[in-house]
Amino acid sequence: MTFTTNIWNYRHLTYKLAISDFKLRYKNSVLGFFWSLLEPLLMLVVLYIVFTNLMRVNVEHYQLFLLMGIISWNLLSRGTTMSLYSILGKPSLVKKVYFPREVLVISSCITALLMTLLEFVVFGIFMLVFAVVPGRLIVYFPAVLFVEFLLVLGLSFGIAALNVYYRDVQYIWAVILQAGFFAAPIIYPLSIIPEKYLWIIMLNPMTRIIDMLRGSVIYSTAPIPGDGIFIIAATLLVFVIGYLIFLRLEPGFAEEM
Amino acid sequence: MAEAIIVSDLGKIFRIPHEKRSTLFEHITGVLYGKKGYEEFLALKNINFTVKKGEAVGIIGENGSGKSTLLKIIANILRPSSGSITIIGKITPFLELGVGFQPDLTAKENIYIYAAIMGLSDREIDGKLEEILEFSGLKQFQDAKLKNLSSGMQVRLAFATAVQTNPEILLMDEVLAVGDMDFQQKCLDVFQRYLKEKKTIVFVSHDLNSVRRFCSKALLLRHGEQVAFGDTNEIIDKYVYGVDDKAKHAKNLQSESKKEEQKSVDGKIEEKKTRWGNKKVEITSVKFIDKFGKENAVFNSGDTMTILINYDVNATVDHLVIGIAIYFDSDMLCYGTNTEIKGFDVMSKQGTNEIKLCIHNLSMMEGKFKLTVAAHSIKHVPYDWLDKQFSFNVIKKGNNAGLFEIPCEWKK
Repeated sequence: MTFTTNIWNYRHLTYKLAISDFKLRYKNSVLGFFWSLLEPLLMLVVLYIVFTNLMRVNVEHYQLFLLMGIISWNLLSRGTTMSLYSILGKPSLVKKVYFPREVLVISSCITALLMTLLEFVVFGIFMLVFAVVPGRLIVYFPAVLFVEFLLVLGLSFGIAALNVYYRDVQYIWAVILQAGFFAAPIIYPLSIIPEKYLWIIMLNPMTRIIDMLRGSVIYSTAPIPGDGIFIIAATLLVFVIGYLIFLRLEPGFAEEM
Repeated sequence: MAEAIIVSDLGKIFRIPHEKRSTLFEHITGVLYGKKGYEEFLALKNINFTVKKGEAVGIIGENGSGKSTLLKIIANILRPSSGSITIIGKITPFLELGVGFQPDLTAKENIYIYAAIMGLSDREIDGKLEEILEFSGLKQFQDAKLKNLSSGMQVRLAFATAVQTNPEILLMDEVLAVGDMDFQQKCLDVFQRYLKEKKTIVFVSHDLNSVRRFCSKALLLRHGEQVAFGDTNEIIDKYVYGVDDKAKHAKNLQSESKKEEQKSVDGKIEEKKTRWGNKKVEITSVKFIDKFGKENAVFNSGDTMTILINYDVNATVDHLVIGIAIYFDSDMLCYGTNTEIKGFDVMSKQGTNEIKLCIHNLSMMEGKFKLTVAAHSIKHVPYDWLDKQFSFNVIKKGNNAGLFEIPCEWKK
């Protein structure tokens, strides 16, 4: 496939754009990265208080459960949101030079991944504070995270390309993300979902991804092979559809902007 | 020689929306009501040419003739609507300097980003960093944020970085036209270097002079159609003199007001304060004829020009004198002569007459010139005086400086 060879030749540029984007985010602020942690941490505190005191959710290590959910969901929401504007937001790069346009989307997703990795460092500190030590099942963690990254990338290809043609996509996507936050087991455990609706929640690949991430790091529960196959299959499906949309729309980018 | 760019039957259609439909809702309503919603605009059609390795080709044409569109298609930024284009080699487009610059990052960081966009790796730039900073004169500001540098510095930085690329095929869109004299000279030096290294170059410019200097071949576009492709000098002649049946189009070359244009092209004369005389002799038309014998308003410096004057003699006049005066910038008299000074007898029998003034060598370098044509008696009683009623443009050829070409040569 030309995809791999062509993009591989531009890996240097992809990386450069991702890093510079990352740097730019924190360039003019004194506390830099700290600010971007503030939002998930605030959310953590609020949700923690609400769910432990008012709703009385009974989950072991709920604060870690919640934080892992928020961080892994953030990778998806931040990655796709940044990608939405990755092409539209850089008209000079699209209209004045040529490189594979995939580079713009991939670099946005990498920027989001970098931010997520930093959040995971904070997550590590939390684990120390609450004295939870991950077992050897943590080796699955990078693999699951990689699958999630591919899912984010696949979604990003599709919506970033569509957004060039139809600006509604950005608004629709914001709503979908909002809904998705509650439709995935981020703040609640799967056990509170009634049996007959469970399959709907399980259709969402993010459900299993978040579940597996938690299992590998916090609870040391071995992944179920079926779950692994499901998320890989779903991710590949999303990726192929997203990328086909991208390929179909890509020739007109410079004209539409 | 091997080919570098092969363009065959290339066409490009732009869809220009009546009203920009950017949202899904507008698309849906548009489809429901069966509105087409856009006009098709033929930006390029039937373009055929081949650039060989090591050739420099200039693309010329008026504004809106499709030059930049063609360049963008070659650069793979736009895709053709029909036909095909084959590129053999790595393309480096210089369509704009400093693409992707981040004002919030430092000069040094921007060098690396820009270099990456131009296809250079960090390692390649590491060795050249000093050279780039030296060239752009930003050594002491390398860690300053780009937004704090002057725009001139930014352009120099972009240029210094861009020329580090080692292109196989170079696309240039009037990059040379910006910057001060010193900078332009540097650009030219680099251009010369690329020419010497036998890089393939495609160059879009309004500056016919640089096209003539650098490019061995040229492509002339007009309204998206290929008028001619071939030897530069021939093509530029075609451009300037419009040597084909669509001569009229070539004339809006310089920014010239349409009204004046019309007057000089059609040779019709409008009554104004700028005209006086007792009309015993009436000048009916004045035309500029180029070296191909066609009426024109644009001329190359150094070419021939014939001023064709038609006049009616309405009454018996004794000793008719016809004169002309050429003005630069509408008030500086460059040259004036008349039939009496030149000792030429003018036909003064009643009826329609014609007289020509043949200029063998237009010695002015470039600019817009106005022409006064007058018929008067030997005692300077004006019969018909048309003051600065006609104009023509001269386009520079060669690199001498100044207003006029003075025939000269160097000797030991």
